[in-house]
Amino acid sequence: MSPQAPLSLGAAPPRTMPGAGLLAISALAGAVLLAWPIVFQGSFLVYIATLVMQFSIGACSLQLIIRTGHISMSHQAFVGIGGYTSVILVMKAGWAWHFALLAAIAAPALAGAVIGPILLRLTGKYFVLVTFLFGEIVRLVFIDWQSMTGGSNGIFEIPKPYPWMNDPTAYYYVSLGFAVACVGFCIRLMRSEIGRAIDAMREGPNLTECAGVPVFRIKVVMFIIACGLSGVMGSLNAHMNNVITPGNYGPMESLNLVVMNVLGGMTNMAGAIIGAVFLIALPELLRGYVEWQRVFYGIILIVVMASMPGGMVELLARLRSRLTGREAHLASAVAAEGRT
Amino acid sequence: MSTGGAPLLAVEGLSMTFGALKAVQDLSFTVHDGEILGIIGPNGAGKTTAVNAISGTFKPTAGRVTFDGHLVTGFAPHRLAELGLVRTYQATTVYGTQTVRENCRRGAFLHLYPGFFDALISSAKARAMRAAVEKEIDRLLDWLGLAQFADTEARNLPYGVQKTLGMAIAMAARPRLIMLDEPVAGLSAEETDHVRDTIKRIRASGISAIVIDHNMRFISGLCDRVLVIHHGQELAIGTPAEVMSHPDVIEAYLGKGHAAATAKANHAAPGH
Amino acid sequence: MSFTDLLTPVLMGQVLLDGMSISSIYILIALGFTLLFGIMRVVNFAHGEFAMLGGWGLYYLYGQFNVPFLLAVPLAGAIVAVCSLVFEQFVFRFFYQKMFQSMIGLLGLSTAMIYTAVIIWDAYERQIPPAFTSTLEFGESIFGESLLLPTDRVVVFLVSMATLAAFYFLIMHTRMGLGMRAAAQDVEVAEAMGIRTRTVYRQAFLLAIFMTAVAGALYGQIYFLSYELGSQPLLKAFIVVILGGMGSIPGAALGGVILGMSETFLATLFGAAVSNFVSFGVVILILIIRPWGLLGKPE
Repeated sequence: MSPQAPLSLGAAPPRTMPGAGLLAISALAGAVLLAWPIVFQGSFLVYIATLVMQFSIGACSLQLIIRTGHISMSHQAFVGIGGYTSVILVMKAGWAWHFALLAAIAAPALAGAVIGPILLRLTGKYFVLVTFLFGEIVRLVFIDWQSMTGGSNGIFEIPKPYPWMNDPTAYYYVSLGFAVACVGFCIRLMRSEIGRAIDAMREGPNLTECAGVPVFRIKVVMFIIACGLSGVMGSLNAHMNNVITPGNYGPMESLNLVVMNVLGGMTNMAGAIIGAVFLIALPELLRGYVEWQRVFYGIILIVVMASMPGGMVELLARLRSRLTGREAHLASAVAAEGRT
Repeated sequence: MSTGGAPLLAVEGLSMTFGALKAVQDLSFTVHDGEILGIIGPNGAGKTTAVNAISGTFKPTAGRVTFDGHLVTGFAPHRLAELGLVRTYQATTVYGTQTVRENCRRGAFLHLYPGFFDALISSAKARAMRAAVEKEIDRLLDWLGLAQFADTEARNLPYGVQKTLGMAIAMAARPRLIMLDEPVAGLSAEETDHVRDTIKRIRASGISAIVIDHNMRFISGLCDRVLVIHHGQELAIGTPAEVMSHPDVIEAYLGKGHAAATAKANHAAPGH
Repeated sequence: MSFTDLLTPVLMGQVLLDGMSISSIYILIALGFTLLFGIMRVVNFAHGEFAMLGGWGLYYLYGQFNVPFLLAVPLAGAIVAVCSLVFEQFVFRFFYQKMFQSMIGLLGLSTAMIYTAVIIWDAYERQIPPAFTSTLEFGESIFGESLLLPTDRVVVFLVSMATLAAFYFLIMHTRMGLGMRAAAQDVEVAEAMGIRTRTVYRQAFLLAIFMTAVAGALYGQIYFLSYELGSQPLLKAFIVVILGGMGSIPGAALGGVILGMSETFLATLFGAAVSNFVSFGVVILILIIRPWGLLGKPE
């Protein structure tokens, strides 16, 4: 209990309920997500939506780290650790997938617990650069640990988690379930008192520490949680693709997850999901023209970063402010970072 | 001012060296319940370093800090805050993009955080704590005259009000001792007076304070005792009147030319 | 190869030369990178792609049009640098003094450039014809057996050294260099002193891309030429710059020597994988102890 409080305790909570608009949007989104594989049965669109589910887990878990003020360029490495763990345990040790999945969460979380306290002492660009290098190291481990990982060719003919998941629709619903659980967890976490402390320490670390928030400990815990969640994506993705190769887990691929968050405005889980939809769906739809699709991707990144570093959230806010004629306060994490 | 009983904060032989630079040397002082201690000295005298060494920003090179009977030397700021020792910073005092109310909620973390799982599921305990803190913030804002700004973003407030909000954030943590680093830097005379009254009211509610500044007039009009630091060392400690008539202080800190001004300030001090 | 085999002076001499030539290439690339960061505060993730363009420049000039090698290398660098002003105008300009945006925006540029290269030149590796196939022999009287040095490595080393010397002269002894140094220290002050930052930025950009393209041409000749040419040099430049300190020119030189030498010796002794792990590990270790690098300044 606090010593000698100048103000006494009271009662009656002013609870804020989600607005009707938000509920309506959630209900609509839920209906679309549930109906998607039925409407597009047997179509490539089911596969794309499944990918989006998996990347939503990656992007939202990465946001847990970003919100503490650290832009990690090695998140995909942890996704890879989860993926390899799951595949190796299922294929070489004969584990059932549900146990392998638990290991696929535990392994990156453990790696995060070891490396996190070291990396998180760095801030700003140094953290970005070191995580970039760390991501590269992990990729090299995947390449060089041939007996386990199959080297740069990777591991082939990965079975689906269960035979019934050979059906893309079934895989979709399983991925959807995990995405809802993981993303829901992230949203819930960030809306709790922990989330308030996290947003506070990004905006004023000293001030927050003085309010009794164990800043460093929270950063480490968030890093570990994020790494653990990323393993879910790793396992789901590897078993869906039938193959796992080191090329999918380098720093450039981690950047992809960062960009999803950038497009979404960095401090918004829904934004990260929109970013994932954009970055996964768009290239996949241009599949026949792989090179052009990558060129467009690059150009879009340039244009977005040059013109609206706050991402789509900033774009929406600008549109809204134009509509209502009010000046919107666009203090995105990106803009703040850019000024330093 | 009572000097009887165990002091709330006791600093003994505090030293802080950076390489060859002795920023703080062998400082000792105490703060008692309900006391306001001023720390004063010219720029670069080591005031902020001393506070940093006490508040755990740096680990002191030597010395002991005892707070409320606990040995807290080198404790991280968040652990000190748990014990009831909260400080403010010169530069970042508020969360600019947040409303005044949200600023206070962030300051009240210790009284809002119910534990990881309770927070995650927003349990009855979490909701009760939240309700209690909301109520307290209402009172705190009323009490500090910030109620009208409750939903204003902090960066849109006048600078003087931002300083008051900085104190509100610290108060939301319900400290027993509050350390204020240059609370009136850059404020007008009127705003300075307002801050001084606020600090006095904080003390009246039973909270001790350490106030760091280089403005002798402000410090002497506010504090029960003053510690003068020069080149990282104690030059004098005592009531404002004692300190300002101390020959070393006049000589070293104020300079001989300021002797007349000092005498004037001396007369002003007891009036408060 | 066993340990004792390597400890002969002759072999050591060869490894040393290898190390020196690769160090000098890393330094060139890293200098361009650090120049862009030091002056414009952009983290040029597309840096490797300019090296790739340098490789293609040499491929055409020397391989196809038979321009003499020693002329073709600087010419390739100059052509790439001048043509890249298009990128300066339409991309880089928007990211000056915006470190974080530049990282992601220029990664976008990197992707766009790589895949444009695939569209134009396809994805297969090519060889730039070797310029010098002979080996230099000397030192028989000293070591008892002669030291065999591949001439192309010697030439690579000499060309990079000449470029570095020219760079040093430009930076330290010309008005242009003075402007750049002033801008690197503090852009606002430099502007207040009447330095036209736009001009300085353009000069620094040209210089950085020129050095990178020259390095890329040399790198492409030693190894291979493809759309992927840039990824390894970028990574190395990254390590070198972090090692030496972001924005520090002497730091880039020191970092380049350390990385190039340690990499060559470790790779010869223990294999490429070990050398990679060691160099990454050491850099991460240094950064954790001294985040601003060996010769950088803490912020």
